[in-house]
Formats: sequence, C-alpha cells, structure tokens
Amino acid sequence: MKRFIFAFIAAYIFMFAWGWLLNGVVLKGVYAETPNIFRPRDEMMSLFHWILIGQAVLILAFILIYASGFAGGGVSAGIRLGILLEIAAIGSRMAIYAVQPFPGKLLVYGSLSGLVEMIIIGAIVGAIYKPRIAGAT
Amino acid sequence: MNWKKFFTAFIATFVWIFVFGWVYHGMLLHNTYAAMPGLMRAQTDVQFPLIILGQVVMAFFFTLIFVRGFGSGGGVAGGFRYGFLLALFLCGLDIIDYAVDPLTTTVLFAWWIGGIIELAIAGVIVGALYKPAAAP
Repeated sequence: MKRFIFAFIAAYIFMFAWGWLLNGVVLKGVYAETPNIFRPRDEMMSLFHWILIGQAVLILAFILIYASGFAGGGVSAGIRLGILLEIAAIGSRMAIYAVQPFPGKLLVYGSLSGLVEMIIIGAIVGAIYKPRIAGAT
Repeated sequence: MNWKKFFTAFIATFVWIFVFGWVYHGMLLHNTYAAMPGLMRAQTDVQFPLIILGQVVMAFFFTLIFVRGFGSGGGVAGGFRYGFLLALFLCGLDIIDYAVDPLTTTVLFAWWIGGIIELAIAGVIVGALYKPAAAP
C-alpha cells in the first residue's frame, strides 16, 4: 500500500508538471487558433479543480491496472502498459476528433505527447510499485 | 498467446463497441449533441471512417492489454474488473476535457456512464472468449 501511494504521488506530480508545460506553455498558441471550441481562460481556471481530479482518476486507474495484471515486470512492464493504454486512448481520441471540430494537428500533438507522457508514467509506476512477495516479512 | 482466440475476442469486442456507440451516441444522445452545434461537426462533416478506425484501434488494444496482463486466468470476472478500470482511465480524460472544452455536465455524466457500461461489457466479452488452454 505504501508503494502504491508513493507511485501515485510521483506519477501525479509528473503528470501535473507535464500537462502544465505542454498545454499551458508549448501548445498555448495552437489552442489560441481555435478559441471557439475551448472555454475562455477565466472559465477554465474556475474549473481547474476538475483537471486535478481528472489527472488523479487517470493515475489511480493506471496503477490499479498495472497492479492487477502487470506488476512484477518492473520498469519495462510499466512502459509497455503505458504504450498500450495510450494507443487505446488514441483510438478513443480519433473517434472524438471525427465528431468534434478540433484542428487535426491537435490530434497529432495530443497523441504524440500522450505517448511520451504514458511511457514516463509507466516507467515511474513500474520502478516504484512492486507487489508484495508471498511469504516475505 | 493464442492468436485465434485473440482475434475472436478482438472482433467480438469491436462489434460490441461499434453497436454500443451507434445506439448510445448516435441515437440516445443524438438530441443532446444536436443542442450544442458549435462543439460538434455538422452531420455532413462527421468523419465516419475515422470513428470506425478509432474503434478498431480501441478494440484491438483493449483486447491486447487484457491478454498481456490478465490472459493467464482473468476470466469473465477479471475481464469485468479490467473493463471497469480502463473505463475509469478514460473517465479521467473526460473530466479533464470537461474543464477545457465547453461540455455540459449532462454530456460528462453520459460519457462516464456510457464508457463504464461499454468497457465493462467489453471486458466480460474478452474474458469469456480469451481463455488460455488448460494445462495437460
């Protein structure tokens, strides 16, 4: 449980920092090109807690999936799970892009950055979370 | 990995995701989406092949993750739990989208509920169809 909590906190801190750097700084100009499909900045900031909750839910689910079927494989298993989960999420994102008028480059940037993000989160979780070995004290 | 069972599970999952998406998003939520035209493409601009491709990618990797992680004995119960957890993962993305895109809370809750039903049942399908051969 201790390792679960450490893995959660480490992955969460990375995800928050990565999200802020990527979406708040690097892609800021791209988002500004299509203001109509995003909330105004003030409104977005008033809903900022939802971003924090969403990131927490996502990390929690990631670690629970890792703990259920991948734990024991270490960093490489974490990275493999991160890649597989992100590609599944890209499938979901493609379906959203098909019905919502987002610019195509946001789909590409979002998918590539998501892949890097999930690889690093997988490595963090794989490095920190290790299952308890039966019989160990 | 048993490829024959894998592809059977993948195809069954894809069919389920396609049918569910068509009924849930295309019919039940049709009026909800129609009430927010600025956020949705016009009917003629919807890129249907991309929806199918996205569902194929989703079904393929959904099945692959289960087989890689749970295939050695997950079964129906393991599949249900896995589907629920993957839906939770995607719920996290939906929550972040809600803070950024002008979605209504109705759409957010509908996506949560729909996503959980869709993937929990997809997990049951994969868990029921992909079972490793019994040891001799």
